[in-house]
Amino acid sequence: MKKGHLYSKGENTEINVSPLIDMVFILLIFFIVATSFVNEVGIHSDYKDSEILSDSVNPPIRITLPATGQIIINGNRVGLEGVAPKIRNAFSSNAPPSVIVQVEKGAKAGLATQVMDQALVAGAKAVKLAEIRK
Amino acid sequence: MKLRRNFGQENETGDINVSPLIDVVFILLIFFIVSATFVTLPGIQVNRPKVRTSTALEKNSVLFALSEKNQIHYSGKAIPLSDVPKLIGMANKKNQKPVIIQVDRWADAAYLAKLINAAKKVSTSVSIATRKNK
Repeated sequence: MKKGHLYSKGENTEINVSPLIDMVFILLIFFIVATSFVNEVGIHSDYKDSEILSDSVNPPIRITLPATGQIIINGNRVGLEGVAPKIRNAFSSNAPPSVIVQVEKGAKAGLATQVMDQALVAGAKAVKLAEIRK
Repeated sequence: MKLRRNFGQENETGDINVSPLIDVVFILLIFFIVSATFVTLPGIQVNRPKVRTSTALEKNSVLFALSEKNQIHYSGKAIPLSDVPKLIGMANKKNQKPVIIQVDRWADAAYLAKLINAAKKVSTSVSIATRKNK
């Protein structure tokens, strides 16, 4: 008797999909809102601390950025466009050098980034940013 | 005449078929679930430096921002430098996420150097976010 009742129910009912659709829509909206597409571009340099500091055969090129906003390589003032040629000259014979950009407190990060970029343009294999402690 | 009769017939016999709608919504849902990478944004707008060698960076990374006033921002809050390694450790429990630093071009380069060195201690890859060159 009971079984028969069950069958008769099954014959004339369909599965109601509206709650399913509601749930799926809610999930969809949640994921659309929560997804943040981050597309960053930037400069990137792989280096190991030990590799740069103990390389005595091929010493790193040091670029100094004082607080006055100048760029100094080996005691000579150069412009931003002079950084890449200087580095190229320095390693014309040897393997690509490491570059250490030494900044004083007060130097601008934008300039430091551009100097690092120029060093990468010149083909430096590792560029490190360091702070000068007085 | 013909047109009206046709419409009448369709309305009499059929419901709206929702299965293609459900299919499309499922596909969208799956797309958004798969592409969802929950990145914590620093929450401030910075004036990025403009460089030449910028490359696309990893999408799923830990983002820090260094503001014009030399404050480090993470997830909408200003944080001290000493918290940086801890926060990076919390953000990548499972895999080694790279670190991206959004630096303002008028920030102090010495702070940027400190921040990079702090991040470098715990993360293998640290990049500086720059402007998109077009």
